Amino acid sequence: MNTDCLTIKNQDMKNQYKALKYRSLVLLVVFFGLLSVIVVIALCVGASSISVTDSILALIEDNGMARSIVWNLRLPRIIMALLIGIGLGTSGAVFQAVLRNPLASPFTLGIGSSAGFGAVIAIMFFNGLVNEYAVVTGAFIFTLLSSFIILGVSRYKGATAETMILTGIALMFLFSSLSSFLQYLGTKEEVHGIVFWFFGSLSKAGYREIVMSGIMILIPMPFMFRFAFDFNLMTAGDESARALGVNVPGVRMFSIALASLMTSGAICFTGVIGFIGLVAPHIARMIFGSDNLFLIPASALIGGVLVLSADTLGRTMWLPHVIPIGIVTSFIGVPFFLYLLIKKTKEYW
Amino acid sequence: MPRLLSNFKGFNTAGFFLPGLIILIIISARGTAWAGEVAQSIVIEDAFGREISVNIPVQSIVVLNSDVLEVLRSLGAQDLVKGIYSEITKDGAFFQEFLDRPRVGSWKNANAELIADLNPCIVIAYENNPGTELEKQLSPFGIQVLRLNFYKLGTIAKEIITLGKIIGREQQGETLGAWYGKKLDVIQKRLDSVKEKPLVYVESYSAFHTAGPGSGGHDMCVYAGGRNLADEFKVPYSEVTSEWVISKQPDVIFKATAWGNGFERNDRIFFNNVRDEMAARPSWNLIQAVKNNRVHVLDSGIWTGPRAVIGVVYMAKRIYPRLFNDLDPEQIHKEFLESFQRIPYQGVYISENLSGGSK
Repeated sequence: MNTDCLTIKNQDMKNQYKALKYRSLVLLVVFFGLLSVIVVIALCVGASSISVTDSILALIEDNGMARSIVWNLRLPRIIMALLIGIGLGTSGAVFQAVLRNPLASPFTLGIGSSAGFGAVIAIMFFNGLVNEYAVVTGAFIFTLLSSFIILGVSRYKGATAETMILTGIALMFLFSSLSSFLQYLGTKEEVHGIVFWFFGSLSKAGYREIVMSGIMILIPMPFMFRFAFDFNLMTAGDESARALGVNVPGVRMFSIALASLMTSGAICFTGVIGFIGLVAPHIARMIFGSDNLFLIPASALIGGVLVLSADTLGRTMWLPHVIPIGIVTSFIGVPFFLYLLIKKTKEYW
Repeated sequence: MPRLLSNFKGFNTAGFFLPGLIILIIISARGTAWAGEVAQSIVIEDAFGREISVNIPVQSIVVLNSDVLEVLRSLGAQDLVKGIYSEITKDGAFFQEFLDRPRVGSWKNANAELIADLNPCIVIAYENNPGTELEKQLSPFGIQVLRLNFYKLGTIAKEIITLGKIIGREQQGETLGAWYGKKLDVIQKRLDSVKEKPLVYVESYSAFHTAGPGSGGHDMCVYAGGRNLADEFKVPYSEVTSEWVISKQPDVIFKATAWGNGFERNDRIFFNNVRDEMAARPSWNLIQAVKNNRVHVLDSGIWTGPRAVIGVVYMAKRIYPRLFNDLDPEQIHKEFLESFQRIPYQGVYISENLSGGSK
């Protein structure tokens, strides 16, 4: 009798999980559809007077200026926005999962501040106002440096979530202060450049940047999926995860290193677009639940939706001005996030 | 009687206050006399358009930016400079004679304590940098903060004349102000005959950040006879898309750069590289200005600031090579540096002209 009861209960749970899985898959398809619609819209709108038909035709035939604008200007911008959204959304979800902290994001760990410091150094000492690769290199080097410091301290003190978060917060303040110090020494032209870099911009996105950014963002993705189940177990606590056979310090260190690389790939080329890494995983969690198998791709998709929508709005709603993407992401992300937060009746974290 | 007096409390109080009152009267009387002897003041208009009173002659100044320092040197007032902004080292070769002066902190965040220590008559700063807290911090020391910009072409001559009056170099101020007016007049008179002004895209130091009304770059473009692509913008330094620039088809493109110092350059390689990178931006080969090799890169030394007039001459010549065929920007620059700044002419300030016609 008891065995029968258990079997029925197990079956019920399996059915429930299947239904949840099915629901999540459908939602993923819906979000993918939404993203595709935004991609098409982004492809058809811009400052030039190219018609919607010409914009779409430009993808397949050579219709002069329209083709050049679509292929050289709009498409790279769209792909870059998607990559950034995917990178920041995924890395944010991973940071929150392995650190078991809803406030964790690439910026909580000081990665944004260190990238900013690298950019400031490049602008002030390596002609970063003109040589954009100096800025990219500077931001990249300092992103990796801060990740190495976090991993080093964690290795020394034990890779606990608390150690990593506290080290990250300390680094965030350190690099922010260093950036402020250099800005203090800067000329008005340099300060001008630094302020604009911190606003974030996709204006310089080209295919070369896409390839470099894509390598850093897409290569770690399969590993993140591979660890999704381990992340699920780690949310129950390090002890429980360890008891179930997860190499907690190893998974934590490796995934933090990969998530840092993804963040670096996302922000080095465009400046600080910090908010996405925090909010995309939360929005995904409210809609998809906490199963990292779905949460990670959902965060990536939602990140893509947010960044692409923000950039498309930013470059079209006040033509011909471009409202910096770092500002627009907050404009559209915060109200949406608050709406979901108020509407959600159950505790979701 | 003594008892009566000692019992009279009012008398004691009066006895205490009376000497104080007498001292006060003496001080105020002396004060008026002292003021009458030395304090003379003039009312000037600052960068905000406010009328403010300044005690003259000003005998010591703390300078918070390179623009005012350059003007002071033009007026031959180097000896009045008691303290300078800390970033001067970046222009070390140009401002060599000032490198040994005490530094008082950044152009946007000066150290009030160091300034108070130097006890200058006035501090000259930009309109908005540092913030107004500087006035609050320095007013207890009797140090006045004067807000003058010296980077806007429309007001620079007036500000120079004002500064000349304040520091007792009125004649020099008038001469320099007139020199600016004369150079700009030459250009404006010739431009009167121009009916269709070319469309110009002006890019500031950061990529895709254009210079709209309210920025020095916009003023320079207009004075040089260009029709700024961003002339209806409400934001001085707005970001624009590549697509917008292409769709507008500018005839000429100017870009400002601020790496190193034109004064110390020996060749045009840097400017040419910036120009070539700009022309190679995706789809920019569709722009008229790029097709016709009319992309030009200028050094920050002649971009806004006291030498903006030289930048304007360069720009006018590049926009209208025939109209200004006889105008030699290098000669004007040489005249400015040697006659007013009293330093030998040197340096390179603009990219090579690939469209031909002028230097």
